[in-house]
Amino acid sequence: MAEPLAQPVSNLIQAFSRLPGIGPKTASRLAYFLLRADDEIALNLARALEELKARTLFCSVCLNIADQDPCRLCADPQRDPTVICVVEEPLDVQAIERTREFRGVYHVLHGAISPVEGIGPEDLKVRELMARVRRSLETETPVQELIVATNPNLEGEATAMYLARLFKPLGLRVTRLARGLPTGGDLEYADESTLANALTGRSEL
Amino acid sequence: MFLRRLWLDHFRNYRSLDLTFPQPWTLLQGGNAQGKTNLLEAIHYLATSKSSHARVEREVVGWSASEEPIPHARIRGQVERAGQVTELEILFTRRAQGNGFTKQVRINGVARRSLDLLGLLRAVLFMPQDIELVTGSPSIRRRYLDVALCQIDREYCRHLARYQKVLAHRNSLLRQLREGGARPGEPRVAAELGFWDEQLAEHGAHVLARRYAFLARLEPLAAAQHHLLSGCQERLHILYLPTFDPGHLGPQGLQELRAGHYRAPRAPLSPPVPAELAGRLQAHLETHRARELAAGATLAGPHRDDLVFLLDDRELRAYGSRGQQRTAALALKLAEVRAMAAETGDTPVLLLDDVMSELDARRREMVLEALSEVDQAILTATDWEDFTPGFRAQAYRLQVVAGQVRAGGKD
Repeated sequence: MAEPLAQPVSNLIQAFSRLPGIGPKTASRLAYFLLRADDEIALNLARALEELKARTLFCSVCLNIADQDPCRLCADPQRDPTVICVVEEPLDVQAIERTREFRGVYHVLHGAISPVEGIGPEDLKVRELMARVRRSLETETPVQELIVATNPNLEGEATAMYLARLFKPLGLRVTRLARGLPTGGDLEYADESTLANALTGRSEL
Repeated sequence: MFLRRLWLDHFRNYRSLDLTFPQPWTLLQGGNAQGKTNLLEAIHYLATSKSSHARVEREVVGWSASEEPIPHARIRGQVERAGQVTELEILFTRRAQGNGFTKQVRINGVARRSLDLLGLLRAVLFMPQDIELVTGSPSIRRRYLDVALCQIDREYCRHLARYQKVLAHRNSLLRQLREGGARPGEPRVAAELGFWDEQLAEHGAHVLARRYAFLARLEPLAAAQHHLLSGCQERLHILYLPTFDPGHLGPQGLQELRAGHYRAPRAPLSPPVPAELAGRLQAHLETHRARELAAGATLAGPHRDDLVFLLDDRELRAYGSRGQQRTAALALKLAEVRAMAAETGDTPVLLLDDVMSELDARRREMVLEALSEVDQAILTATDWEDFTPGFRAQAYRLQVVAGQVRAGGKD
């Protein structure tokens, strides 16, 4: 029996359906959209995909994904290198950047400690963080604070505690993002553990 | 607390069911394998968000579900309490991948967490195989405590869930450390285990303290029930068997428990408090590092604890007769009803699965007396004759035949 679809089309559908969040239906729709759309749209996508792998790299300082080394954030003289915000994933950097509240620099761990999944500290970029902090202590701008911004779940907490144990002996201030009520939220809808955290983490007015 | 109405879709052998409970007592009669137990299981599921005996969610979804465009099963119930009606629903739908089912909980039509379901409908289920509470493995007795406590204490359930998560992580870590040839004194062992020790101790302490406190209330009730049921002079005692020193037993008391020299306590013990238990559990973990690393598993904590039943100083599991064990299990269940009522100020729905046939006249009478203390009881039997005509006349009678329920039956 002959293949019902032209080979290039089914290739593209297959490639799309390997992406997260995309099933076979969506993959077919995307493929047929590109087939019918202007050539320019498809070619732009192809070039963008090619460049994605060819022109991105890990920043050697913060290990975020970047297009130059060191990355724009690490190279920016306006940023304060003495405060490092430690996050699990590159997307978390974007989330914190959107607040426009943070003027320090970042360090991306690329994961969190999870023994069940076999992820220990040595699988994260902890060694790199240690080397980075140690190096900075010799310079005029030694790191003074680590803000641990890992997720407020069990794995994120485990990672935060591990980092605190490791870095406090170096004389650093190690802090953790506050946990509590979402802005614009309603007290009565908050679940018990969030409310309990908000109570213990209350601050002076 | 009263279950007014129950709907089932594709739950085990029920294709579709809409059942109303107009009276305090409901009597379900039917032959074997017609669906009596399944009906009680569905109600118990609604109360606990867990199956009373299925190991995986898939098992409760009936064969008829595959006829649906989207295979699913549903348990829905209307619970009345202090004049307020709440609608509870558990929906099982097939996962996008694999052949498992996911469970969704809705309360009054709004999607909620399983945890939110607890306490809205409370139920105590007694089945013939509950004799295993006395004769079976420790995990059955831990499960008994967990199911009973989760229904009255949401905090218990939260701590237990967290404890189990931490335990899984900690066991994985211990295994990995063992495979990596780690030694107990190494700094990396303390650094990596530190957080998990703390968390295990914290949540384990809450679980343990709440178990001790519950048992302190349950034990005298069970002893009283047992005395009434058996008419014998020996007193039923329940001892809690911890895996580390909780501090309140005294050195001698703990040693005796460890050695299996069980004896009835001379005076009631005051239950320990979480803060102290946490410190003790954490210290225990630290001093037993080498053993845990060698085993690659967590060896102490509420997940390894057990209960011991005594008649005076005699252990029931080893020395009791079958009849004595059955009586103790029934006493425990009836005590659970009373403990729950005392704790929450309202009585649970009592579900009795085919228990009458195994009891003598005196014990039947005792069970019927317990029925008069609850707002609602649902009983099953293979034989109408298991119940006196007087009782039958007062009960709402239903017949279960091949996954269908119809009103009526012998008067």
